[in-house]
Amino acid sequence: MQTAIKGSKAFSYIEVSLEQGESIVCEAGGMSSMDAAIDLTARLNGGFLRALIKRYLGGETLFVSNFTNNTSQPRTLTLVQSVPGEIRCQKMQGEGFNLQPGAFIACTAGVKLGLRWAGLVSFIAREGLFKLVASGDGNLWYGAYGAMIEKEIDGEYIVDTAHLVAFEPGVKLKLQLAGGLFSSLFGGEGLVTRVEGKGKIIVQSRSLAGLAGWLNPKF
Amino acid sequence: MQIELLHQPGNTAARVTLAPGETITSESGAMIAMSGNMDITTSTHKKKSGGLLKAAKRMLAGESFFLNHFESSGQAGEVIFGTGLAGDMMVRELEQESLIVQSRSFLAATDDIDIGFGWQGFASIFSGESVFWLNLKGSGSVVLTSFGAIYPVVVDGDYIVDTGHIVAFEETLDFTITKAGKSWLHSYLGGEGLVCKFSGTGTVWCQSHSSADFGQRLAPSLKNR
Repeated sequence: MQTAIKGSKAFSYIEVSLEQGESIVCEAGGMSSMDAAIDLTARLNGGFLRALIKRYLGGETLFVSNFTNNTSQPRTLTLVQSVPGEIRCQKMQGEGFNLQPGAFIACTAGVKLGLRWAGLVSFIAREGLFKLVASGDGNLWYGAYGAMIEKEIDGEYIVDTAHLVAFEPGVKLKLQLAGGLFSSLFGGEGLVTRVEGKGKIIVQSRSLAGLAGWLNPKF
Repeated sequence: MQIELLHQPGNTAARVTLAPGETITSESGAMIAMSGNMDITTSTHKKKSGGLLKAAKRMLAGESFFLNHFESSGQAGEVIFGTGLAGDMMVRELEQESLIVQSRSFLAATDDIDIGFGWQGFASIFSGESVFWLNLKGSGSVVLTSFGAIYPVVVDGDYIVDTGHIVAFEETLDFTITKAGKSWLHSYLGGEGLVCKFSGTGTVWCQSHSSADFGQRLAPSLKNR
């Protein structure tokens, strides 16, 4: 399998070339174009209950699409997320990776997507009640609205709500006010997410909630 | 005439430099800036041809009823075009050939290009995704826009493009509205629904992102009017 992320950071998309017998899993609706000879099989995103939870509480799609090349020649397809922004590939070697709701785009067959209770704190922070935990071996593609900012943390770090995209397993979430009561309510920061531990976190430069907040008064 | 694309692919604008007497036609509302000696005529049709019927058809295609014609009078001048959504643009030279363009991707065309309603119009109404096509015909330059980056796919055989991702395609290609993969159920559950299948040989230009998908993602956060 050959893959490449193209389209600059503003409009990243994934170009995939599947060899005979290879397959790739992608969130529902993520295919923008493909060779007509590729087979598409939709399946529930986990078991029935888990798929429902992922859909309604984890911000993911109810079904995922499995694209397989059953022909003898290489075939191409293109995958993308619904928001314009950066896409990255995480090479997984059994160490696990946490994704925030909506960040998952695609993965190779060896990657498993599990669901973990993220806690009420995460829900209040508009980061979702559950988090998606990827494990196994292979490639995982995830995306952000806007560009991604990577930060290696050791100890505490603060992220505005709805800007967290992904974090390594050594990192935990906590919720708190951004500053004092006054600056939290009037400074536009409100609640923030406090991340704690040791590992890498990925933050997105924009948020859909921010865009909606700017658009709403105009109607 | 010279057409130059600035700031690709994130926030593209098209700068058109016109010699005295040259004209470029654009969709209404596309002009961002221009030199002072530009004469603008707004009409329902291509200069010196067509008529109300063509304009009505264009409106059906989701385009504005009116087209603007920019003519530089006396001396050379320039006009800069932009779009509402962020994204890429492309310039395509036509030589007595025709290009089928998804109506929202049309930005501007030189004087000798005829802008008509695409022949596939009715096939696409049934797709339920209201994709309309413009048929650009003649010799000259065409400027197209997209939401996201534009990538060409050279088709030789069958190739599938999701309906929201088509910018334009060559007339040599046939297309049918169909399913992705072998089964209607899987295509629907896999979130692809109806897609366009291109057959034959030719090029289709795709946009990396779909404005409809982005809108659907954003809509739950917007207040009801």
